[in-house]
Amino acid sequence: MKSLKLTTILAIIAVLLIASCAKVATPTEPSGANTTEKTLVVWDQFYRPVESSVMDTLNREFEAAHPGVKIQREVKVLEDLELTLPLALTKADGPDVAQVNQGRNSMGALVQAGVLLPLDDYVAQYQWGNVFSTSVASRNSFSADGRVFGQGSLYGVSPTAEVVGVFYNKDIFKSNGWKVPATFEEFEALLKDIKAKGITPISFGSLDGWNAIHEFSSIQHLLVSQDYINNLTYGVNNVSFDTPENVQAAQILLDWSKAGYFTDGYPGIGYDDSNNLFKSGQGAMTITGSWLTAELLTGTDQQFGFFLMPPYSGKTAMSIGGVGIPFSIRKTSLEPELSAEYLNWMISPRAAELWAEAGMLPAMNLPADTKVDTKGLFGDTLNAWNTINKNNLVGHYIDWATPTFGDTLTAELQKLLGGITTPADFAAAVEKDYSAYLAEQSK
Amino acid sequence: MRLPGLLISSMRRNRAYPGEHAWKGWPYLLPAFLVYFVFTFLPILETIRTSLFDWDGISPTRQFVGLQNYTRLIADSQFLTAFFHNLVFIIFYCIIPILVGLLLASLLTRRKIKGFTFFRTVLFIPQVISMVVVGVVWRWIFNPTFGPLNVLLRAIGLQIWAKAWLGDFTWALPAVGSIGTWVQYGFCMILFLAGMQRISEEYYEASSLDGANAFQQFIHITIPGLRPEIGVALITTIIAALRVFDLVFTTTRGGPGDSTLVTGFLIYRSAFLQKDMGYASAIATILTVVILSISLLIRRFSSDSKGEPA
Repeated sequence: MKSLKLTTILAIIAVLLIASCAKVATPTEPSGANTTEKTLVVWDQFYRPVESSVMDTLNREFEAAHPGVKIQREVKVLEDLELTLPLALTKADGPDVAQVNQGRNSMGALVQAGVLLPLDDYVAQYQWGNVFSTSVASRNSFSADGRVFGQGSLYGVSPTAEVVGVFYNKDIFKSNGWKVPATFEEFEALLKDIKAKGITPISFGSLDGWNAIHEFSSIQHLLVSQDYINNLTYGVNNVSFDTPENVQAAQILLDWSKAGYFTDGYPGIGYDDSNNLFKSGQGAMTITGSWLTAELLTGTDQQFGFFLMPPYSGKTAMSIGGVGIPFSIRKTSLEPELSAEYLNWMISPRAAELWAEAGMLPAMNLPADTKVDTKGLFGDTLNAWNTINKNNLVGHYIDWATPTFGDTLTAELQKLLGGITTPADFAAAVEKDYSAYLAEQSK
Repeated sequence: MRLPGLLISSMRRNRAYPGEHAWKGWPYLLPAFLVYFVFTFLPILETIRTSLFDWDGISPTRQFVGLQNYTRLIADSQFLTAFFHNLVFIIFYCIIPILVGLLLASLLTRRKIKGFTFFRTVLFIPQVISMVVVGVVWRWIFNPTFGPLNVLLRAIGLQIWAKAWLGDFTWALPAVGSIGTWVQYGFCMILFLAGMQRISEEYYEASSLDGANAFQQFIHITIPGLRPEIGVALITTIIAALRVFDLVFTTTRGGPGDSTLVTGFLIYRSAFLQKDMGYASAIATILTVVILSISLLIRRFSSDSKGEPA
């Protein structure tokens, strides 16, 4: 009797356990597939108020043009989006359209997992070849197995563009009679002048780490060839990171640090804090991406401008840049046609105009009759982007090169600037990461 | 706060009430056991299983690699560095907070102090603030330009001591560690305050009649009397030191270089940034084993073998 009861209890436990496990494993049924009302689920990361209202406007106008279509928008911070999207894309009720971050770790991994729809058919249908240059499209392209970056099918379209350059405080420049430098030699002379006046030449904080890559790579882009930076980023043709140019770029960065061109105590200052210092007039310049523009247009009495890191005299140079986080389509979406139409709307002239009005660089050309004010800081960034885009001088975010490259570069740059390692050690340490990855890939 | 295994030994002793069967109590555990099984035990098993695979966390297929992730781990200098930092954190999360907690608790109990409740509450506050908030606030306190710490040092003429605390290769680890101390000592203090109220006054009276001074009383009466509490404090704070993640994530992200890298952050980075789920699971498994063994060791030494809780 006693043992019988015990068995019963154990049996109940077992049944409950199996039931709870089984429930976890059952996939959810797609909802609303058979109704006449169509719902398009869109996940994006435009969470800042200004960006968010652009998305809301675009969605509203898309719905108005497509009676019966409802857009169900979900907004996430990029880091959240990257954590939740992979799983959501494998579900039958996951987002139809979602922003997928570029690079091997994000888009590459998702292509490899087979959850993104190749967009080749729609490139032809909507003539996206006229909207983007091949250099821009390759940033959103992967081979079908997700292993080769920069070639193969297009997997996303980007509505916005980014360019990394130099923001400067116009008031400080004006009161000291400084001009925007045309060459890198002039730029370095300017740094010296600014320092001599007792002003911080470059507002910078390396506590968060990732932005130090932009400081280094901005200089690197002046020294290396375009083929090199393409090969390095896409992991083709077996290039090395341990090159004289990269050592030289590291040396220049180190020299700037030793000369006191960066904010005092910069290793202990975060990215946002250093931008706030710059915005409040502490520091003549800062090296970062055009995404800071909107931030610098409001809430400050200072006037700011933007220029590309100038090339060595008599040379042309690339600048770090690219297109923003692209929109992709889930492979198992029940509405691929409608989703593609939505993507086409996201990169329409109307979208370009709305992004420009919000102070963000559109990746597409603005309509000829645009009323957007192209003077001032936004105009500076727009000109900078047009210059590098038209002249095919768009460089790369080198941290895309390997899955661990961003973390390695961050740590090694902090060691370099902290005086722990030399520029030669730096290049060798980063090359170790890079060659290990190439070896892994060629297996 | 989890107090692993503390109840088990006392349960064992109450087993033999006449006329009752030991297993009758078990069904009452069922609801809690189910929750534990589904949300803790299964994920642990899944983590151990994942550690034997090469998997990016998304793909439907994963490749079985046996113990390869573990052999990689032993050779990975980053993992060893991170683990060493965890051991350093034991000083800041465990040893200093316990000493400070003992000191504060004895100061608050041995003499009647006006506003006892006020002091107790204020001293306990760091423990109840969310770690993310703590991290963000201390990042500002340590800020070299406008942070109060450097401003204070400059104001009192110690500008040579002012530095970029969190960005300094020598000082970043102690700086982050001291935030941990600030958070943990309140917990130790409250624990010891409760324990001290249980120690009979007679011991103190008798010893002072025999001529013992306050320090001797502290060493020979208070500390032995607090043995179970010290055991609990040791286990929880050491676990906190070994699994620290939030504080490093919000202050330094492991930098500068690898100087504040800890295993918890390494797991996050491998799993969610570098999409190396198998390797991350291997680190997590090793970390769990280390934490369990240390907890068991401490329990063995701190709990009285005769089961007499002082």
